[in-house]
Amino acid sequence: MSKDSQSSEHPHIPVLVEELKTGAISRRHFLRTATLLGLSAVAAYTLSGVANPFIDEAEAADALPKGGHLRIGMRCMEIKSPHQADFAERSNVIRQVCEFLTFTGNDNITRPYLLERWEVSDDLKTWTLHIRKNVKWHSGRPLTADDVVWNLKRVCDPAVGSSTLGLFTGYLVQEYDTGEKDASGKPKKSSRLWSDKAIEKVDDSTVRLNAFAPQIAVPEHLFHYAMFIIDPAEKGVFGPGSNGTGPFELTEFTVGKGAKYKARKDYWGTGPYLDTFEFIDLGDNPGASISAMASKQVDGLSEADAVQVNAMKRLPHVQPYGVLTSQTGVARMRVDHKILGDKRVRQAMRLAIDRQKIITTSLLGAGIPAEDHHVAPVHPEYAALPKYGRDIVKAKKLLAEAGYPNGFEIDMVTRPDPIWELNTVQALAEQFKDIGVKVNIKPLPSAQYWEVWTKVPFSLTGWGHRPLGIMTLALAYRSNAAWNESGYSNPEFDALLDQADGILDPKKRSIVMAKIEALMQDDGPLVQPFWRTFSTVMDKKVKGFSVHPSQYIFANQYAVTA
Amino acid sequence: MASFLAKRLTLMIVTMLCASFVVFAVSEFAPGSVARRTLGPYATQQQVDLLSERMHANDPLPLRYEHWLGVLVGAIPDPLENPANGLNFTDPRGAQYFGNFGYSTLYKLPVNDVMWTRLGHTAVLAGIAFALIVPLSMLFGILSGLKEGGVLDRSLSVICITFTSIPEFASGVFLVTLFVILWPIFPGTSPLDTNGGGGWSIASQMVLPVAVLVLYDFGYVARMIRVSMIGVMEKPYIRTAILKGLSPRQVILGHALRNAMIAPFTVLLLQLNFLISGVVVTEMVFAYPGFGRMLLDASMFGDIATLEAATLVTVFVAVVTQFLGDLGYMLLNPRIRVR
Repeated sequence: MSKDSQSSEHPHIPVLVEELKTGAISRRHFLRTATLLGLSAVAAYTLSGVANPFIDEAEAADALPKGGHLRIGMRCMEIKSPHQADFAERSNVIRQVCEFLTFTGNDNITRPYLLERWEVSDDLKTWTLHIRKNVKWHSGRPLTADDVVWNLKRVCDPAVGSSTLGLFTGYLVQEYDTGEKDASGKPKKSSRLWSDKAIEKVDDSTVRLNAFAPQIAVPEHLFHYAMFIIDPAEKGVFGPGSNGTGPFELTEFTVGKGAKYKARKDYWGTGPYLDTFEFIDLGDNPGASISAMASKQVDGLSEADAVQVNAMKRLPHVQPYGVLTSQTGVARMRVDHKILGDKRVRQAMRLAIDRQKIITTSLLGAGIPAEDHHVAPVHPEYAALPKYGRDIVKAKKLLAEAGYPNGFEIDMVTRPDPIWELNTVQALAEQFKDIGVKVNIKPLPSAQYWEVWTKVPFSLTGWGHRPLGIMTLALAYRSNAAWNESGYSNPEFDALLDQADGILDPKKRSIVMAKIEALMQDDGPLVQPFWRTFSTVMDKKVKGFSVHPSQYIFANQYAVTA
Repeated sequence: MASFLAKRLTLMIVTMLCASFVVFAVSEFAPGSVARRTLGPYATQQQVDLLSERMHANDPLPLRYEHWLGVLVGAIPDPLENPANGLNFTDPRGAQYFGNFGYSTLYKLPVNDVMWTRLGHTAVLAGIAFALIVPLSMLFGILSGLKEGGVLDRSLSVICITFTSIPEFASGVFLVTLFVILWPIFPGTSPLDTNGGGGWSIASQMVLPVAVLVLYDFGYVARMIRVSMIGVMEKPYIRTAILKGLSPRQVILGHALRNAMIAPFTVLLLQLNFLISGVVVTEMVFAYPGFGRMLLDASMFGDIATLEAATLVTVFVAVVTQFLGDLGYMLLNPRIRVR
């Protein structure tokens, strides 16, 4: 660590080091919190005594072959503004050209990326972001603080349609009453930065975020799939030839067909080792992906479900990959529903399921049991609570107490694609039968499902991987949150979440997280059967590949042997 | 003839107008807004409302249909291409010209830039399949129909019925297992790109999709030809031809075939409709970038401009094939010509 960086070290870091030494906190807690507070990942790994993965990575990178062409099968839907990217696939197309300020690795540790480092105030409200000085756009112009400020402010404009707005709400962005009324006479609300000084340029390579509330997950929010740094001159439009700071230039893009890239020779970061790279759209039919891998028309897939992986395991040139994630399916219940509004009914539903059987039938074993609170063991703030299993007698008793001794009948909405979601609903419906709850499955095509996903009384929603549990809890269960699909509103939960957001000490945060998790198990609006293992396949000739839990593809890290 | 052509043309235009309005009306009742689909699941309602406004998605149905028709005939510029909307929809041909099918909200391109390429790909697939289906089904149909109930008829009938009964996705998977996994001599997908196709030639990429279509379709047409052939072979003029000493070849080619083809001719032409707009399953199985997949994606997304254009094309193909069928009838049957 340099003298300068030592001088700007967050005062809580020595405390963390001490707690790590005494065994009061785990290495993972230390790594995550120390890096979020601005300590470099290399220094954090050194202090934690864990073998430094960067040295191995650097050695492995030196050994990677140079040149060649890589083809990955992935759906190529329309791309609009990078700030509107809403699925991993769309984001993957853009990610090879435009980049994020930070990088959350496979180890769930967030590091600076386009940033050189960051500093945070003791109250976690002021974040100073130092931009890396050697980063240049494809056009040759250096990346500046003006570029970063423009991007950060743009995602906070509701007219842009970026999901990053939701993440920034609560510390940089506030809702306000527009003074207008909607068709039903309710006041129309909008969002805006809480202050003109919320995002400010300090100098040409420094930006400061001045939040109105403490927030520890800022670096992770800057890695959100829509938080790309794009060239302001392009006004949010993306396509072939677009300017970016990333390792590749997009040369061709056709919706439903694919995207082609050419490597940059003057890239500031790792790689690229390939000369050219390509995404090929193989459509929605899972069989087409298997056929393409079998006849070596692609060198890998962005995602392969358990059925596909099983089918391809026997192909001698195929290497399967998997990683446990916080990706999940949540059977969520609207708390304003006549029956589901009773927390005893929700508790009964949670006790009615056999998680391991659901994992075996709907995921072919590719997952681990979840605990109905939407915080995963891979999350650094996860607090282990006593496990509970299937208890039909207790579940029936709870239903009887709620006034439904003979159960009830209810529609459950789901999507037929991806298939594991429908399979899960079918398995759940079978198990709910045992407590007298008859579930009528109502599959809707994805596009229609997303129209009603926050409105229907009972549905299964797939939630993507996020590096922190509190990110999902804030998005999905905080009162009035944009993606609060269950209508859950519990002041005690909100207060605990606010408290957890602002606690630096992992030990203290863990105590609060245990309270949040217990509250969700008691009163929460969800039945959560499992955490999914994210899997994919690559040809054995692909080197340097490791599967990222967020389904992100970083082609600059990959190479191919002849 | 001129009045016949005029009638047909008028009928075609009326059919197209009706079909296009029906598609518009049906889309109106489909749940989900284009703006929501464009912005994705996590956009706020406010963001969706803003985009809906900019896309004129909230205008009443008749007004939107009128706009679409006006844009198509070049009477008005496409409102979506107005730079003030901020949608960045631009067509190099301009916003106002005859044949402007509008802007695809799914592909973010003018429909004319998307549809014709896709249609071309499917036309190639359909053309090759049709060129194989016609002779194969004629051969099977004629051989079966020559002697009803014979061993040959029964054997060929079993083959035809079996292949027709196997759905395209099943025969697709079967052929892939056989010729891609177990005996890898053909590629498993058909991206129509030698680079993306992993070095497989375009011709090799066509083999399996064409095979699936031919296997699925030829048996049905052959059965139609068989029935027609049986009917013709029982006619008195065939008996006369045989009795006056003509060879079987002369009887079949000179007397039977022409008459036996009158009814199946329409069936054959109907296969063109199927091959253009009904090959979506085959295109999905082999990831073939064709018209069927485009139609499916557009309908799932609610891309009304692409859907409308595709509907007009399919109606056009249907009407033209009907017209060709009528002309063919005239050529094959002089009695129709006289009337």
